[in-house]
Amino acid sequence: MKMTRRILMGAAAGSFLLSAGAMAQQTELTFWSWRQEDKAFYQDAIKKFQAKEPNIAIKFETYAPENYQTILSTALAAGRGPDVIQVRAYGNLETIATPGYLLALDKQTVPELANFPDAALAAETLRSDGKVYAVPFAMQAQLVVYNKKIFQNAGVNPPKTWDELMALCQALKAKNITPFANGTATAWQNETIVGGLLSSMLGKQFEEDIVSGKANFTDPRFVNALAKLKDVSQYFSPNFSGVDYPSSQQLFVAGRAAMFAGGSYEVANFKNQNPTLDLGVFPAPVLKAGDQALIATYYDGGYAVNAKSEKKDAALKFVRYLATPEYGTAFTTALKNLSPIKGIKIEDPITQEVAKLAENAMSYLMLVRFRYQEPSGSVLLQSNVQKMLAGQQTPEQAAAEINKGIATYYKPFQK
Amino acid sequence: MTALATSSSSRQPISFAFLAQVILIANSFIMLYPVVVMVLSAFKTTGEIFEHPFALPDFTQIGNFAKVLGETSMPAYFVNSIIVTGASILLIVVLGTMAGYAVARYESRTNTFILLFFLAGLMLPLKLAVIPLFILLRDLNLLDSRWSLIVTYTAIGLPSAVFIMAGFLRSLPAELEDAARIDGASEPRIMWSVMLPLARPPMAIAAIQNAVPIWNDFFFPLVFIQTDAYKTLPQGLTTFMGEYTTDWGMLFAGLTIAAAPITLLYIALSRQFIQGMTAGAVK
Amino acid sequence: MPVSSKQARTWKHRSWVAFLVVPPVVFMSLFVVYPILSAFAYAFYEWRGLARGDFVGLANFKEVLFGATMAPTVWNAFLHNVYALIALMIVQNGGGFFLAWLLYKEPFGFRFHRIAVFVPVVLSTIIVGFLWKLFLNPNFGIVNQALYSLGLDSWAKPWLGDSSTALGALILANAWHFVGFPTLVYLAGMQRIPSEIIEAARLDGTTEWQLLKNIVWPLVAPSTTILFTLLFIGAFNWFEIPYVMVGLDGSPFGSTDVLGLVFYRTAFGNQSASIQNFGLGSALATLIFLFIVVFASMLTLWLRRREIQF
Repeated sequence: MKMTRRILMGAAAGSFLLSAGAMAQQTELTFWSWRQEDKAFYQDAIKKFQAKEPNIAIKFETYAPENYQTILSTALAAGRGPDVIQVRAYGNLETIATPGYLLALDKQTVPELANFPDAALAAETLRSDGKVYAVPFAMQAQLVVYNKKIFQNAGVNPPKTWDELMALCQALKAKNITPFANGTATAWQNETIVGGLLSSMLGKQFEEDIVSGKANFTDPRFVNALAKLKDVSQYFSPNFSGVDYPSSQQLFVAGRAAMFAGGSYEVANFKNQNPTLDLGVFPAPVLKAGDQALIATYYDGGYAVNAKSEKKDAALKFVRYLATPEYGTAFTTALKNLSPIKGIKIEDPITQEVAKLAENAMSYLMLVRFRYQEPSGSVLLQSNVQKMLAGQQTPEQAAAEINKGIATYYKPFQK
Repeated sequence: MTALATSSSSRQPISFAFLAQVILIANSFIMLYPVVVMVLSAFKTTGEIFEHPFALPDFTQIGNFAKVLGETSMPAYFVNSIIVTGASILLIVVLGTMAGYAVARYESRTNTFILLFFLAGLMLPLKLAVIPLFILLRDLNLLDSRWSLIVTYTAIGLPSAVFIMAGFLRSLPAELEDAARIDGASEPRIMWSVMLPLARPPMAIAAIQNAVPIWNDFFFPLVFIQTDAYKTLPQGLTTFMGEYTTDWGMLFAGLTIAAAPITLLYIALSRQFIQGMTAGAVK
Repeated sequence: MPVSSKQARTWKHRSWVAFLVVPPVVFMSLFVVYPILSAFAYAFYEWRGLARGDFVGLANFKEVLFGATMAPTVWNAFLHNVYALIALMIVQNGGGFFLAWLLYKEPFGFRFHRIAVFVPVVLSTIIVGFLWKLFLNPNFGIVNQALYSLGLDSWAKPWLGDSSTALGALILANAWHFVGFPTLVYLAGMQRIPSEIIEAARLDGTTEWQLLKNIVWPLVAPSTTILFTLLFIGAFNWFEIPYVMVGLDGSPFGSTDVLGLVFYRTAFGNQSASIQNFGLGSALATLIFLFIVVFASMLTLWLRRREIQF
C-alpha cells in the first residue's frame, strides 16, 4: 500500500515536472461548447490534434444548452470569453457576430473552408458583410423515425405517399398501436413535426417562391399541407395536446408507438435509452406518387475564433483541424450526426440512410430563413400550429397569422 | 381559550361540527396526499408507477435513491444550497441587527430616514431589476459564483430583518441601557452584552423568515449561475429533471430527496417555522 | 440623562452609530437601489446583446405597450396575470379565511390540520411545479389515472395541453402550494380578536354566518390588507410555476403566458427566438414595477381606510 502510494506520488511528481517543462512553450486555448453529452468525443479530438501540434493545449468547457447563448454573449461583451467558440448558425450566429465578437474567416486563414458545401458556409455567414465566421460542424434533418419491429409485426412498410401514410396509421391503430409518439405540448415540437411530415408537400419550389417573394405563407401549398397535418394528428399519441417532448420520446423508446416525426438527432438518443430498438428513417410522404420526397435540413452551428483572443494563431490552427475530413469522419462515427465536410466516410447504417436522404432536401424553413427578427418564424409557426392542432383555428387562419407576423419585417411579403 | 372554544362548539349543532371536521380532513388529505404519492413513487420503477400509480411500493427497493445520491450531482447541489443559505442568513442577521439597533436605540432624524429607506426596500420586487443586477455582478466579477446569490439574497432579506430587529429592540426598556451607562460601559459593550442577548428570538424569526425563501429560490440561480458545481438545489433539480425526463422513478426520488430536508425540519420545528414565515404578515 | 445626550453628540458616538448604519445602507444602495434605478435608465437605451447602444427615449416603452410585435403578447400575458390574481384571491386567500375559521374553533385534531396545511408552503416552488406537472401528465399522471379508476373517463383531460384548462391548472397548483399561508395568517388574526366579543355575539344568538360576516371578517381586515398586497405583488411577479409546468413559451399557444415569462424571454432569449433585448426587457420590467408600486400603495391606502371604519 505504502509502496504503491510512493510510486504514484513519484509518477505524479514526474509528470508534473514534464508538463511544467512542456508548458514553457505551450499555448493554452480555451474552447467552449454546449454539447455536454459529447465531452468524451471532444477530449479525444483534442488529443488527436495535440499529436500534430504538441505545443497547443486546449481546455474544453461545456455549459447547459438553454443558457449557453446568454453566458457566451455576457462573456464576449465583457471582452472575455474563450479562444475557440462553438456557435450556433443563422440568426443566433448574427447576435454575436454583428457586434464584432468573432474573427472573420476566409480561404487564406482557413483553406479548409473549401471542404464545405456553400449552403453550410452560408449558415455561418453574416448577411450584412457576407463573411464566414465559423467552420460548420453538423447538419441535422427533420424526418420520420420508425420502429422496424413494429412495422414488421404489423406487416406494413414505410409509406411513400400521404394516402399510404394515412392507411398505415389506420392499420396500426386497428391493431391498438399508437402510430405517432408525437405530442404538441412542448412548443418547438410543432416545428419539428411540420419539418418531418410536410416538407415533401411544400416542396423546394415553395421555398424558392417564399424567398423570392412570389408566394407567401397564405399560399395554397402551405395551407393544404397544414390541413393534412391536422388530418394526421388524430394518429398522434393519446391526448397529444398535453404530451410534452419527454413523454413522447418515452412512448417511442418504450416501443409503445410506431413512428416519431422529428430530428435525425433523436436516433442516437433513442438508441442510448433502449439499445434493442431497431430503427429506420423515411422522408416526409409525398402528395401524389412521383413527387420528389424531401427531408428538411439545417446546419446546427460551427466553430469560431474570438476576435479578442490573444492566441489567434493557435486558435486558427485548431479550427483548421476541425475542418478536416479526418475530423469530420471521427465526428460522424462517434456522434452519429452528419458532418457537412465533403468526402467523409460514414459507417453507421442509419446515418448513411440520412445522408442519402439529405441529397433531396429543402431548408428547415423557419430556422434557416426566419429566425433573424421578432416575431421569429419559428415562434409563429410553433404557436399557430399548436393552436390549429388543438382545433382552435383553421389551417387558413394559422397560415394567415404566420404570414402576418413575418410580414411585419420581411420586405417581400409587404407588397 | 380552549375552554371557551369547547363550550362554544358544543353549543353548535352536531352537523356543523361534523361538516367542519369533514372539510378539514379533506383539506389535510389534499395537502398531504401528493407528498405521500411522491415519496411512494420514489420506491417504484417507472413501469410500476405507470401500471400501479396508487399501490404501496416495496420499501426495500431503494435503487432510485442510491442512484440519485451516488450518480448525480444532487449532493453537490445540496451542499451549495447550505452554503448559500447559511452565508446569506448570517449576513442578513448581522447587517439587519446593526441597522435595526442603530435605528431603534439612537433616535435621530437621519435614523428615521434610514428606517424609511429600508421600509421602501421591503416591497420592491428585486426580480425585476435582474438585468442591472446581472451587469453589476458581471462587473464585480461575481457572476457564476455562489457570492452572486449570497449578496442578492442578503439585499432582499435585509429590509425585513431591519424591521423585525428594530421593532423588537425599540420595545426594550431604556433603563437597561442607562444602568449600564452609569456603570461606565461603552456603547459597543452595551449592545453586545446587555441588549443582544435579549434579542435572540427576533433574530431567529428574521432567520427563518428569510431562510425558507432563500433555500427555495430558483429565479436568481437560473440567471446568475451556469457552472454545474455552483448550482443550488432548486436549480440543480431542473438540470436533474432534464437529464432523467423519461425515468419517473428517478424523478420522484430526486424530488423526494430535494424536499426531505426542509420538510423534516419543518415537522420538527413547526411552531418556529410558522411563526417565522408569517412574521411579516402578522403584527 | 442630559450628560448622556450630550455624549451622544460626541465624535466617538457618531462614528459608532455610523459603524452600525453605514455597512447595511451601502449594501442596500449597491444591490437594491442602484440596480432598480439602472433598470429605469436601461429602458431608455437601445441594446445590442449586452452592450448598451444609443439613447432612444421612450421607444422601448412604446414598443412594449403599443408595438405590433410585442404589445399583443404583453397584453395577453397581463390579462392572465389579472385572472391569476382574481382566482387566487378567491381560492387561496378566500379558502384560507374559511380554513382559518374552522381551525379557530380548535376542533379535534386541529394541531395536525394546522401543520398539514402549511406543509406545501415550505416546499420549493420548483418541487411543487414538477410534482404537479407529473401528476397532470395526460397519460400517466395520477390525476387522470384516478379519474379513470373512478369511471369518470370523460373528465380526464390533457390538463396542461388544453388551452381551456392549462391556466386554471397552474392557478390550482399555486393555490395548493400557498393556501396554508393565508390560513395561518388569518388564524393568528382571529386569535387576537378579544374572546368576549365573539362570546357576546353568540349569546345574542347570531348565526354562524352573521358572526363571520359582521364580526370576524371586519376584525381581521388588517390581515386581509396585507395578504392581498402580498398576493398582488406575487401575482404580477408570477414566474416559477408557469416556467416549470408549461415552459418559457406559455404553452399551449400563449394561453398560459404571464408577464414574468415574457420578461424572461425578452431579456434572456429562448430557444426559438434567439433574440435578447435588454432595452425592451428593462422597459417591460419598469412598467411592471411602476404598476405594482402605484397599485399596491393605492390599494393599501384604500384597504387601510376601510379598516379604520370599523
